[in-house]
Amino acid sequence: MAARRSRSRSRRSKAYREFVSEAEEILERMRSDLSDLADQRAGDGDVDPELVNSLFRSAHSLKGLAGMFGLDGLSELAHHLEDVLDGMRLGRVALDSPVAVLMDEAVALFAAEMSHLDDPKQSVETSEAVTELVGRIDVAVREPAPPANDLDGLDLDPAMLRALTEYEEHRLRENLSRGRHIVLVEATFEILAFDEGLAELSEAVRETGEVLSTLPSPGAAPDSQIRFGLLSASDLDADSLRKRIDFQDASVRSVWAPDANAAVPAAAATSAKPHGADGAAEEPAPDLHAEAAEIESLKSISDTVRVDIRKLDELMNLVGELVIQRGAVGSIARRLRSDPSTARAGLELDKVHKLLDRKIQDLQSGVLEVRMVPLRQVFEKLSRVVRRLRRDLDKDVRLELKGADTELDKLIVEELVDPLMHLVRNSFDHAIESGEERRAAGKPQEGTIGVQAFQRGNHVLIEVSDDGRGIDVEAVHTRAVERGIVAVDDVLTQHEKLDLVFSPGFSTRDEITETSGRGVGMDVVKNNLTAVGGVVDVDSREGRGTTVTLTLPITLAIIQALVVGVGDQRYAVPLTAVLETLLVEPGDIQRSEGREILNVRGEALLLRRLAREFGLPEDPQAKPHVVVLGLGDLRLGLLVDRLEGQQDTVIKPVQGPVQNVRGIAGATELGDLGAVLVLDVAAVVEDAYRRREAA
Amino acid sequence: MQRVLIVEDSATMRALLASTLEGLGDGVEIHEVESGFEALRRMPREAFDLIVTDINMPDINGLELVSFAKTSDVYREIPLIIISTEGSERDREKGLELGADAYLVKPFDPDRLVEIARELLKKRGEED
Amino acid sequence: MSAPDEIGTGDWESLARAAVSSGDREDSVLLRELLAFELGGDPYALPVERVREIVRLRPVTPMPRVPEVVLGVIALRGEVLQVVDLRRRLGMPSADPTRRSRIVVLHAEDGGTTGLLVDAVTEVLRLPESEISESAPGEAETVEALCSRGDEFVSLIDLERVLEVDDV
Repeated sequence: MAARRSRSRSRRSKAYREFVSEAEEILERMRSDLSDLADQRAGDGDVDPELVNSLFRSAHSLKGLAGMFGLDGLSELAHHLEDVLDGMRLGRVALDSPVAVLMDEAVALFAAEMSHLDDPKQSVETSEAVTELVGRIDVAVREPAPPANDLDGLDLDPAMLRALTEYEEHRLRENLSRGRHIVLVEATFEILAFDEGLAELSEAVRETGEVLSTLPSPGAAPDSQIRFGLLSASDLDADSLRKRIDFQDASVRSVWAPDANAAVPAAAATSAKPHGADGAAEEPAPDLHAEAAEIESLKSISDTVRVDIRKLDELMNLVGELVIQRGAVGSIARRLRSDPSTARAGLELDKVHKLLDRKIQDLQSGVLEVRMVPLRQVFEKLSRVVRRLRRDLDKDVRLELKGADTELDKLIVEELVDPLMHLVRNSFDHAIESGEERRAAGKPQEGTIGVQAFQRGNHVLIEVSDDGRGIDVEAVHTRAVERGIVAVDDVLTQHEKLDLVFSPGFSTRDEITETSGRGVGMDVVKNNLTAVGGVVDVDSREGRGTTVTLTLPITLAIIQALVVGVGDQRYAVPLTAVLETLLVEPGDIQRSEGREILNVRGEALLLRRLAREFGLPEDPQAKPHVVVLGLGDLRLGLLVDRLEGQQDTVIKPVQGPVQNVRGIAGATELGDLGAVLVLDVAAVVEDAYRRREAA
Repeated sequence: MQRVLIVEDSATMRALLASTLEGLGDGVEIHEVESGFEALRRMPREAFDLIVTDINMPDINGLELVSFAKTSDVYREIPLIIISTEGSERDREKGLELGADAYLVKPFDPDRLVEIARELLKKRGEED
Repeated sequence: MSAPDEIGTGDWESLARAAVSSGDREDSVLLRELLAFELGGDPYALPVERVREIVRLRPVTPMPRVPEVVLGVIALRGEVLQVVDLRRRLGMPSADPTRRSRIVVLHAEDGGTTGLLVDAVTEVLRLPESEISESAPGEAETVEALCSRGDEFVSLIDLERVLEVDDV
């Protein structure tokens, strides 16, 4: 079955991974839109057309994506969901409770399908569910009404009508039938900077109605200008709207006015009403106060922006580059100060340098702050999982969540989803006993899983606890011995024995059930956390329960590094190991028994040339900089050609065929410089002294 | 060197389109933007030889983008391919009426896209 | 399959497509999927299932204290991985990179990731096992088998051997 195997392997491809993450994002957005929709239905019953349109776009994207990957079942499901939503936004399908429930089910089913794409057996089962649901959707969606096609009564350039999508046409008809004014607002902008002005204009129009279409056209100077026509529906007529929007150089003209045009255009008259719409055809007179309040609330929503995390990474990199430049300014200031003729200018530059330094630090913490997100979304996912498990396994378990507002770096939060999900499933599946067992042990029949997050200093702690059967420490130990993880005669404390559950290949139960996450063990939990600089700890009392504590850095494990240059290459040296840096004249360096030494304040400092250590060409012209490294009591001066500044870096392992290169601790990514290797200071210092002893 | 602009709001579709169009070979540079507005901003600064656009996007739709390009003296000659989901036959008609050079339906056949793109780029090259 | 200069430079997408569609075909003939690439003008291939992605050449940071066949490291979406110059590894002289040069990113068996620098990626071959000969004639060190494509042979490289670079 080679073909089948390669199919599942292709799922690791970049496009596939992007598909999965994008599909998950879309599903998450749909869930949130559906819940807003439910709120609006429960409220005044008036549903925001943009919400339905957003759901439609989501379903539409899902269909396209699934189709592209040959996932026919999913594509089919998304297609039908899209049909329902299309009908709804075009006014053909009434949004009633059965339809709302169908949509909830479709989204849930899609998500479930996604989660077992790699398991052909599972997906066969659910594809029956897909067929069944699709059948029910078909029943719910009635035959579409033939679209009316006559918008000729409007005073509008046919080209503008042509650029309307079917949905936009429907909105136009809908607004006509509501008796709104249709107006065309036009303005010319500089093409390179139209966003802000256009957004302002659209916003102003929206305060009194709806923007149906935004049509760009060439301005009078087509190279530098662009003209936008906003086809809009408004409660105000063209004159009142012109006064109201108060936008320089905007022209507003009427395309259709309900009073002046005696007859509603044919299109409006035939505009399809929702099937089974419950009678509320009369448009109530607009309540100005309510409207004003709504505008206010819309404004407050628009205060937040969504930002792609990669843009924040770019910002962070820019800050990193600033830090390098700052270092350069500092060294120029020092040089100027050391020469009496320029000492004054040097002092002034030094002041500027210090100020710059503070501002850059503020900027840095500002950017870090923006990356922080609350754990709420993860918690919501956990609730959903437990709800589903409760249903599927018929087990009485309560999930208590605390600290959903605790904030963490977005990337860490992403890495947390799987481990938390796994821990909660583990508790549900293995730790919480059956009802009978619990009653027999004198525990409440309902088991409890608690997830609690809180901040402590620079860390966030997340505790996942349960009141289940606890971990049998001796059984863990025995198993670890059987598996050869520890030797029989190793003396271990209770806690060390418990920690064995994190060893690779360890699992306390042989059965692999769906809910335990299929073979993903505690070792994987540990690895995921280590990858983001976290620590995991477990505490358990037999018969009473287990608590797993995750300790995470608030932001990604950023360490400060000194970037040094040798020849055309750069290395990063962790700043914690750097005692000081010195600029020396080549003549200051002495030799003794073939070793190079430097007199530093009366003490002899052993020197090593990084170029020689790593077999790089030496630059005889360069004035060497000495980076003084400290390891315990040992001191070593590392000679490099240049100091290029300090950087906040995240150390990553170097993957590839050659592992454990002596002297290299890992690598980091520094903006435009790409990968930069990080020195293993301990190894470099130890080697220097070992060779010294050997010599 | 000819330059192709992809206008598509879905990151996955964008990646797929880009890698498919990489099939045009070394003489073609692929650029990607994620919205119609961004396309409008880039077009005056950079000369493109082909634009491939989605229809459903959050700011302006693909038809509006086509309408803009085809009514402009500056951009009229740039060939345009619309890529959309089968959905609406009327959107398709409108796209072609507005002056789009081709209309492909998602999930599109990658070889067909490359073939059409190559054809349009070749014609464009001969005009210059 | 298309000619190398046309669609062949497509990246993982063509792989994904080929692999996905293969699931719908009959399994009666065992087909192997190979990623074909060029090295010094000759066709080579490696098993598709070991390929994670294919990226354009980007600046490589040299790494000290490693065999010469390891060009250095690149940063790729938050990971840092070594790049092996397949020309040098197979005993050919290094060549200046061109627009067609690609780094084939492999899943390593032990979970890590490695990049292989090749002259150009050309296509995905789907060959029945019968087209793949047992072994290359003579004393081949890194070529596992020869596959016939039309009237020429494509050398299927032995990735495990290729990635044992310590003794080179």
